[in-house]
Amino acid sequence: MFSKILIANRGEIALRILRACRTMGIDAVVAYSEADRDSLAVQLADEAICIGPPDARRSYLSVPAIISAAVVTGCDAIHPGYGFLSEDETFAEVVRAHDLTFIGPPPEVLDRFASKEGTRRLLGGFGLPTIPGSVGMIRDDEHALAEAERIGYPVLIKPSAGGGGKGMRMVRTPRELESAIKVCRSEAKSAFGDDSLYLEKWLDDTRHVEVQVAVDRYGHGVQFGERDCSVQRRHQKILEEGPTTALTPAARAELNERAIRAVVAAGYENVGTLEFLVDAEGKAYFIEINCRIQVEHAVTEMLTGMDLVAMQIRIAAGEPLGITQADVQTRGHAIEFRINAEDPAHEFRPGAGIVERYHAPGGPGIRMDSHLFPGYEVPPFYDSLLGKLVVWGPDRATAVERGRAALDELVVEGIVTNVEIHKALITSETFLEGRMTTNLLDRVGSAAFLAAAART
Amino acid sequence: MPQDRDPGPDAARTANHAGIERLMDTLLPSLIAKLATLHVGELEVREGDWHVRLRHPAGVDGDLGRRAGDRPSQRGHAGHDAVGAPAPARTTPVGPGPSAAATASTNGTQPALAPVGPGRAVDGAPAHEDGSGQATAHGPIALSPAVGIFQPGSAAIAGTRVRAGERLGAVDMLGIPQDVLAPADGIVTSIMVEAGTAVEYGQELVGIEATAGSEAR
Repeated sequence: MFSKILIANRGEIALRILRACRTMGIDAVVAYSEADRDSLAVQLADEAICIGPPDARRSYLSVPAIISAAVVTGCDAIHPGYGFLSEDETFAEVVRAHDLTFIGPPPEVLDRFASKEGTRRLLGGFGLPTIPGSVGMIRDDEHALAEAERIGYPVLIKPSAGGGGKGMRMVRTPRELESAIKVCRSEAKSAFGDDSLYLEKWLDDTRHVEVQVAVDRYGHGVQFGERDCSVQRRHQKILEEGPTTALTPAARAELNERAIRAVVAAGYENVGTLEFLVDAEGKAYFIEINCRIQVEHAVTEMLTGMDLVAMQIRIAAGEPLGITQADVQTRGHAIEFRINAEDPAHEFRPGAGIVERYHAPGGPGIRMDSHLFPGYEVPPFYDSLLGKLVVWGPDRATAVERGRAALDELVVEGIVTNVEIHKALITSETFLEGRMTTNLLDRVGSAAFLAAAART
Repeated sequence: MPQDRDPGPDAARTANHAGIERLMDTLLPSLIAKLATLHVGELEVREGDWHVRLRHPAGVDGDLGRRAGDRPSQRGHAGHDAVGAPAPARTTPVGPGPSAAATASTNGTQPALAPVGPGRAVDGAPAHEDGSGQATAHGPIALSPAVGIFQPGSAAIAGTRVRAGERLGAVDMLGIPQDVLAPADGIVTSIMVEAGTAVEYGQELVGIEATAGSEAR
């Protein structure tokens, strides 16, 4: 096992990793940028080291700064968290070249799953159904038009690298396709440094369902059930829950089993998530794999009682999984609300500023993973996630009730948050009946949701 | 972007066409893009019998040792070239005078930086726009440009007269020396960190008693 881990991330996930290290008796060093000097992770850490200025490219995305910090503090492993360098195979390679361990899949595994299009083909070959799409990357406009014609409109343009909705567009006509390709290419280029795009058949009214897996170095894997992340805004998840309401228990079991079989056969290693779109008929299509711990991992932890971050660290250290599928029992229902510094009344404009008051809700089945504290200044340089409110109940109705009470109890003052949209969602008929689709907020509009909630 | 081995058009027509084509079409562009985003000095990849090494034009030190003032819009090449040019009189984020205060907002720096350790800010330091009070009390201080191991240079001896931008030593970041520069004309008063010590970004390294620019010359 590792003796000391460098935490190369910030915000709530830096805290989460710190807590896992503490539980496991491993020393941890928090690497931070100048903008995070007063952050909770830095305050709670036994040891912290400033790696650069606020600009993430010179701190949290700077490979030499992070590795140098690990070397001079005597760490033997680096936990990248999510985002930043968490799925960067080159970073993982350089980490290894310095005799350190990257906590995540080994570089060759990251490399194998680096291309979304390649991963679809790989896992498709191991029995996962995939959405009809272009063969390979789009070469030029003519190629794109021909492929779109073959697949059938509407189609979704997707970048091979990255995530978070950047470089993605749905188009309904050849004309739209031609103009959108240029925009997507430049977005993908500036966001990920890679402008390769591919096409996928667009499915209307889909649900987003993902399966959490863990596979050790010895090819032993288990699945931890699925999460439903259908509540999104412009391809960004804002609320996740498990189990999904989109599938019957039998269909869920089948999806989870197929997912773990395919990913083990394909040689995956460490924790990961397989994302699927589920259409109106309940048919699931594999879309991509996330080779990292995800924001919403806490939903699964609430359902299974397992510590996925600790598991990730143990697998990276070469330990066997130590559990079998029979040891994984999911119980009840869990919902996660992402609390973001975004204004739902103004197109989710991100905000920054000083948290004047902060109170985290409590009670049975309530978990708040957040780096906020009264007086904390939210820096404007990074993503807007302030924390995750996760609620658990023996059934969905109880989880919803607890969620409603916890959202009411939560106090974040001084900065704008998206709490109102969660309150609106959780009282909406669509959510209560479990009929959310990925286009819900974008189609109806967040304003309509807020207005409807205000009337009740 | 120069390469150590150039798998140029001639080579491309010889053996292993498919491999080279792949290299040129897919691997190289993505490697170059990767190099630009990663800020590592050098990137080396083995692909079958091929072996590609990419290196930043001016070496990486010019880039990495630079101030953080450049904005995300200055991505990639242009940004590197712009900031990679020799800049003998680099401004430091901490120091007396209105120019330092003006840059403080983009750099997010505080009037004083805490030493290695739990990294708490200096709570006592008032958040005045005017950082000169702080600077007058302690004099200008040369800060660490990187996280690494500090090696003082020949000018880093108490009593030595130095000019703004003069090299006082280096912080070795994974074998890449990042210059520690004098923030102002003056006389070295103290070396705050021993040679060979691990330092963090922004750490105070060399204290200087400022003299007026004309006197230093």
